Amino acid sequence: MNSKIILEARDVRYRYPGDQEAIKGISFHMRRGEKIALVGPNGAGKSTLLQMFNGMIRPTSGTILVNNDPILYDSTSLRQLRKRVGYVLQNPDRQIIAPTVYQDVAFGPANLGYDEQTIRSAVATSLRHVGLIGFERRPPHQLSGGEKKRVAIAGVLAMNPDVLVFDEPTSGLDPSGSEDLMELLDELNHEGKTIVISTHDVELAYPWADRAILLTDGQIIREDVPDVAFGNPRHVRMAHLSVPTLLELSVELGKRGFTIPARKPRSVLDMVHVIENHLHGTCVHPSPGTILVGNVDEADTGTLSAWAKARPGLVIGAMGTRAKQCAAQEQIALEFTYGVIDKCILRALRGQDSLILTTGSMVGRVTIRVEAYGRESGNAISVEILSSANQPPVSGQTDDEV
Amino acid sequence: MIETNLDSVAQQSTFRHINTGTKLILALGSLILCLLSPSPVVPLISGIILSFVLIIPGRTSPFLYGELLLGPAVFAIMSVIVLLFMLGGGEVIWRFNPMPWINLTITYGSLRESTLVLCRVFGCSISLFFIALTTPMTDLFNSMKRIGIPIELIDLMMIIYRYIFIVSAQAVEIWQAQVMRLGYGRPMEAIRSFSMLCGMLFISSWNAGEDLIHAMDCRCYNGIFPSLDIAEPVQMRSLIPVLLYLSGLTGVLLMMTTGG
Repeated sequence: MNSKIILEARDVRYRYPGDQEAIKGISFHMRRGEKIALVGPNGAGKSTLLQMFNGMIRPTSGTILVNNDPILYDSTSLRQLRKRVGYVLQNPDRQIIAPTVYQDVAFGPANLGYDEQTIRSAVATSLRHVGLIGFERRPPHQLSGGEKKRVAIAGVLAMNPDVLVFDEPTSGLDPSGSEDLMELLDELNHEGKTIVISTHDVELAYPWADRAILLTDGQIIREDVPDVAFGNPRHVRMAHLSVPTLLELSVELGKRGFTIPARKPRSVLDMVHVIENHLHGTCVHPSPGTILVGNVDEADTGTLSAWAKARPGLVIGAMGTRAKQCAAQEQIALEFTYGVIDKCILRALRGQDSLILTTGSMVGRVTIRVEAYGRESGNAISVEILSSANQPPVSGQTDDEV
Repeated sequence: MIETNLDSVAQQSTFRHINTGTKLILALGSLILCLLSPSPVVPLISGIILSFVLIIPGRTSPFLYGELLLGPAVFAIMSVIVLLFMLGGGEVIWRFNPMPWINLTITYGSLRESTLVLCRVFGCSISLFFIALTTPMTDLFNSMKRIGIPIELIDLMMIIYRYIFIVSAQAVEIWQAQVMRLGYGRPMEAIRSFSMLCGMLFISSWNAGEDLIHAMDCRCYNGIFPSLDIAEPVQMRSLIPVLLYLSGLTGVLLMMTTGG
């Protein structure tokens, strides 16, 4: 992750006209490539603060800096700012303004002065990213809530911003839609985008964010990595939140003699590692399973089905919207659609194989995550990258080699 | 939620992928011929043929179609009833004279004129329904742009089109919330509830307008509203039957005109 500061707030204050102060002296920064969760109860000032990042709201005092430059509020500067900082509103109906999906997603590029060919390319890329290829002529009022949210995201992605700001991104979505959306945010972050979300869902923020900022009554209570930010019950109470379940469980297990690592468990995989180590001294099967990875971008028709039959009893997961769509087209039943890598690692620890279908940009992420787990836990799990020519799988290839 | 409305019917129409210009030629051509016809035969033939095309190959639900026709039919019948007694000419067919000062008569002339009006309404309404049920507004916007309607007007229409569904969905939600709490149980309550609904919709629309400006500014609005320039090509297999139909209808019109 590039450590350069991309967004910074310095003693920012804001008072709504005729009302009390909504933001009371907030200072913090975000680094390029980070995933930041702004967590707080309703009325904490999250949305107000987020709207300052792209100049929709001007602080009463204090400064917002983007790439170390203070925001200027003339129209030209704001246009430049909003190209770099994309904002996705909580209610997609407030963001989707055009009568068709294509026109809405093309809105940003068209107003940035791109030529027709560039606009079409930007729209196609964005829609492919959010899994809405083929929706170009659909009117927004005929879309589901999750599809509208994706159109809103695509409309911002088409402008290729450096920072993406989401106000309550999973609001109004069902659990499956929420999982898909968070996975999309992970994918975008993996491509280098800095992501900021506001939420009051601690169970969402805790495993996802690199850093969590607890906000209440217009002030920051705590800003730190999630297990520290949520780890102080007093701060969590002040923010009218609850301690994430996994964190609470790890604290209780720690009190009962379990060895909890310095970096508290943030996922089921981490927790299983703690429990298994305590109970058995190890958490790995004598013969760990293998994680196969298939790149859907390189797959021909029928290739996915061939991969699915590569080994008996193979369980399949898909990462990314496009991978899930490809699997659906070939009628491949998916066991995992969220937290796929961790779930496949858990299977491998029990000596079982699994297959991850994903896009080209995410193949390397699987290898990196599994290797990182191996270094932290001391449990080596092999990753095999499948090729579309049905050649023998190549063991342990990195993303560069693929 | 996908509402069953004209727009959704048009989106799913079998004729959706026929060139918009071809459909407009058919509908507007029929409409003009219906208006020009001195005889009820041409509008009647036009209405029946277009209805057949909509229901059978077009697979429009006959029940939905009937519901749509009900509106203009009711107004047309009410108007025709008035015309029957107001227009005159020719031999009296029926007379109603309950009081010395009330003298209502139906003549052959008024019957002929009323029939013509009724058939014209029938034919013209169906011509317009043909467009409404086969061509989504988004396709019509493209056609408007192509024929040179000012782009600012089209942009405004597109924004209004987008927000019609948002506002109508909100209106339904507010109305349902009021109905659930017996807001329309009594006439005075109904008036009060309806006025509250209108007030809430006004405020909501105002806020939506503010949000629209923010949403457009967030994406660097610079006066450009992109268009979806995807148009179905003109196909002979759809254009030729349309031209043949219009030619036939014109022939019938000329026959009716010269035949007296």
